[in-house]
Amino acid sequence: MSNRLLNRKQMVVDVIHPGQASIAKTVIREKLAKMYKAPADTIFVFGFKTAFGGGKTTGFGLIYDTLDFAKKFEPKYRLARHGLYERPKTTRKQRKERKNRMKKVRGTKKTKVGAAAAKK
Amino acid sequence: MVQAGEDAEAVCQQDLPQALKLLFEMNESADKVSSLVDSMLSQVKRGELATEEGLSFLEVKYHTLLSYLINLSHVVLRKVSGASIYNEPCIDRLVELRTVLERLRPIDKRLKYQIDKLVKTAVTGESSDASSFRANPDNMVSKLDEDADVNEDEDAATEKKSVYVPPKLAPVRYDWDESAASRQEKLLERAKRRALSSAMVRELREEFLDAPTELGSRVDSGAGPSGPSKEDRERQEYEETYFTRLPETKDKRKKRKLPTIGSLANELTNFESDFRVLEGEVMPTKKRKSSKKPTGKKGKKGFKKRKSR
Repeated sequence: MSNRLLNRKQMVVDVIHPGQASIAKTVIREKLAKMYKAPADTIFVFGFKTAFGGGKTTGFGLIYDTLDFAKKFEPKYRLARHGLYERPKTTRKQRKERKNRMKKVRGTKKTKVGAAAAKK
Repeated sequence: MVQAGEDAEAVCQQDLPQALKLLFEMNESADKVSSLVDSMLSQVKRGELATEEGLSFLEVKYHTLLSYLINLSHVVLRKVSGASIYNEPCIDRLVELRTVLERLRPIDKRLKYQIDKLVKTAVTGESSDASSFRANPDNMVSKLDEDADVNEDEDAATEKKSVYVPPKLAPVRYDWDESAASRQEKLLERAKRRALSSAMVRELREEFLDAPTELGSRVDSGAGPSGPSKEDRERQEYEETYFTRLPETKDKRKKRKLPTIGSLANELTNFESDFRVLEGEVMPTKKRKSSKKPTGKKGKKGFKKRKSR
């Protein structure tokens, strides 16, 4: 089904693999790329669940028109799976401490305070 | 009034006393009016009444009224002296003045409040204080429903304290005038269908019929004898429409680990309702849920019930 609002094609993907374990997502992406004649980096698959007893796996697939649209609309964790996004490595605690340090200062000094104290 | 003809004279004779009375009244009122007007004129000449400032609207009104009266009296004069009033210019003027007066009337109505206020200040002699022209809220309260207002206030006060609780009405199935017999029939049919698809009958079918055995993905979806249960179907539909995976609930996880927990014994021991319904011997009994035992050592009432020896 094509979702013109989000510039993509979205579908439920059924993989039948009797006698094998669940297929890797990269392999599924290659197959979809061949089927829909789209570059594999615009294809995002997720949510695969194998039925009880094995042999069949069901998941979801999205094929974007361009990589730019993909970067715009996909959630960050899925982009991170493809290496298109890097999460900031700051921990939650560090972020909160920085915020509290900034609270003590007024105006443009906030940026300086945050960086300076973090280097300590 | 004065016409030639004998029958006209008879009519005149009838009207005569009334006419005389009316004429007498007219004379009296005319005298009064002339005296009033004379006094007013003398007042104005002496300069007691200032007539420079004033509502020009009212001036227009008075002038039109005067002209109307003059024309009217001219018409009356002509009629009294027996002349005809056909195609008289008086009539046209009268009509014109009448329309003007009609047009003035709604404006007059709108100005009524202001004029009354001004007259009141002139009479009572108060200063031209702008605040005296503000609205009077006491006039807005209706003086009739005093008792009702007092009661309503009390009720409103008491009601505001308690929170609104909506009525607890659960929707009930409507059985559209079903007779007892048809209801029994329906129950019987349902019980038969249940019996036919029960575990016992399925195993018998596998044993005795030649159809191939069916294996398949039966736990996650397609768990029950007739495929996926309603819940499973709904979950599947939701997941596929919204492209998300719903998290697994606790009972689902337990069922996955130990599939027959809680249900195996019931399946094995639940004979009664299965077969005899098919043969038509017994009416379907109501399903009774297994009674819950009090958890732990102490029951609900806090003490263990002793079995009588």
